[in-house]
Amino acid sequence: MLLAATNLSKHFGGVAAVRSLEFHLDPGEILAIIGPNGAGKTTVLNLLSGVFPADEGRMVLDGVDITRLPAEDRCHLGLGRAFQVVQPFPEMTVRDNLMVGALFGSRQRSLAEARRRTDEVLALTGLAGRAAMPARDLTLAWEKRVEMARAIATSPRVLLLDEVMAGLLPHEADEMLAVVRSVRETGVAVLFIEHVMRVVRDLADRVIVMDFGEKIAEGSYQDVTGHPRVIEAYLGTEETGGA
Amino acid sequence: MRWAGPAALVVALLVPLVPAGGYQQYVVQVATFVLINAAVALAWDIQARTGQLSLAPAAFFGLGAYAYTMAALRGVPLPVAFLLGPLVAGAVSLGLGVVTLRLHGLYFAIATLAFAEVVKVIFKELPLDLTGGAVGLTAPPLLGGHQTGLYYLGLGVLLLVVAVSLAVRHSRLHYAFTAIRQGELTARVLGVRVVATKLLAFVLSAALTGLAGAYATSRLFFVIPEDTFGIGLSVTALATAIFGGVYTTAGPVLGAIILRSLEEGLRLVLREGYLAVYGVILMLVILYLPGGLVSLWNRRSRDAAGGD
Repeated sequence: MLLAATNLSKHFGGVAAVRSLEFHLDPGEILAIIGPNGAGKTTVLNLLSGVFPADEGRMVLDGVDITRLPAEDRCHLGLGRAFQVVQPFPEMTVRDNLMVGALFGSRQRSLAEARRRTDEVLALTGLAGRAAMPARDLTLAWEKRVEMARAIATSPRVLLLDEVMAGLLPHEADEMLAVVRSVRETGVAVLFIEHVMRVVRDLADRVIVMDFGEKIAEGSYQDVTGHPRVIEAYLGTEETGGA
Repeated sequence: MRWAGPAALVVALLVPLVPAGGYQQYVVQVATFVLINAAVALAWDIQARTGQLSLAPAAFFGLGAYAYTMAALRGVPLPVAFLLGPLVAGAVSLGLGVVTLRLHGLYFAIATLAFAEVVKVIFKELPLDLTGGAVGLTAPPLLGGHQTGLYYLGLGVLLLVVAVSLAVRHSRLHYAFTAIRQGELTARVLGVRVVATKLLAFVLSAALTGLAGAYATSRLFFVIPEDTFGIGLSVTALATAIFGGVYTTAGPVLGAIILRSLEEGLRLVLREGYLAVYGVILMLVILYLPGGLVSLWNRRSRDAAGGD
């Protein structure tokens, strides 16, 4: 087990965003978290990357308890995170955005080493042609790519991706899929949240389904999509009228 | 702009040697004030690159000035007293930074402003034989008060601040500072040690401001709480940097040269009315050149390169 969460819980006021969640991620695995809007998926990534603290539970990365560590320490230990709402540094070029991840990520690099790493990731993610553009001039599709590339530049052991395919055209999503696969081939495990079911089907080794902060199903794509509780969560039941 | 820095340095070195007749002394004096303003503005800018708006330059300038003066008056050798300026300012900023740098935006700005005012009051109210109270102290001059020698010492102080600014710009710190300024949470998730980095910028900037304070005092020969810790000093620092171009090395220096010369020139022509014209020029530049004067140059060189 590379990454494990036990009894993970987070409340916002009276609302339980994540309730007693248990899951693990194996080395080199691609795990998807799916579920209706508001199921608590992004909260899980925020807890893992240290954006805010967990109320209860424990998170362990490769034997190290990261539950109380600040975000930057978790990054140094190998958690790379791409946000759903893209957060590029607007006045930096695409190259400099990646440089930040390369310099300060899981390996502390010198400027020369970080430049080499940045060049590698620019090539891998197809961003080389836009390297000199200020990030604020990019379209959303390219911003999403920068968001993911910057996380990859940190040389993570676990890559956390939050809906990096949302809003992309099919051929753009296909290119992102290829990037994620090639990152996995370098031994990186991937935990991703996605609404585009085709992406989940094509990419995930295993799928976790969440609803109202709880895990309601886990297994292969075929297993979970046929699971009665999953169908109920997505389509509603007769009694509740499908809301 | 490769040639601009060396050219400016040559001009700066020649200033005291240009024969200006009866105006000689006046020219060197104005040039010395340009050096001080440029050093304080550039030191402020280094810290501003982390996105924190500090209104405390006056405090660190004053601490440097008082550290030098009080030590020198107690028989500490002048070069040692001079170095106490940046040391005291840096040490105090470390304490202030630890408690305030977790604040953001307006809250940080207000905390630094309050700190500057508190320090001023403390120096005013301490026993007379210690700080001289509201009247202040007479400071022993460095280099026997030799005007040309002091001008070159001031140039040395500014060159040190420029060297630090350039070193920051061409190191890993540049990426950390800019990332923190443009998205603090994202910077943390990418592994940037945000608090430690902001603290480093804050202390570096304060020490350099304290050095400028010690230097200015050795040139002005006195310290007075209302002037030496005056809020005007902080406002001038940030106005100068913004006028010239923030987050650059050339901007604050260029801003100091133009603003200070403009101020002196207008004062000669318009007497008390100069502040109104000065204010309007400042406003026009801030309104129509948000990147400051250096953005004019960047725009031109970009056009020459085919634009983007």
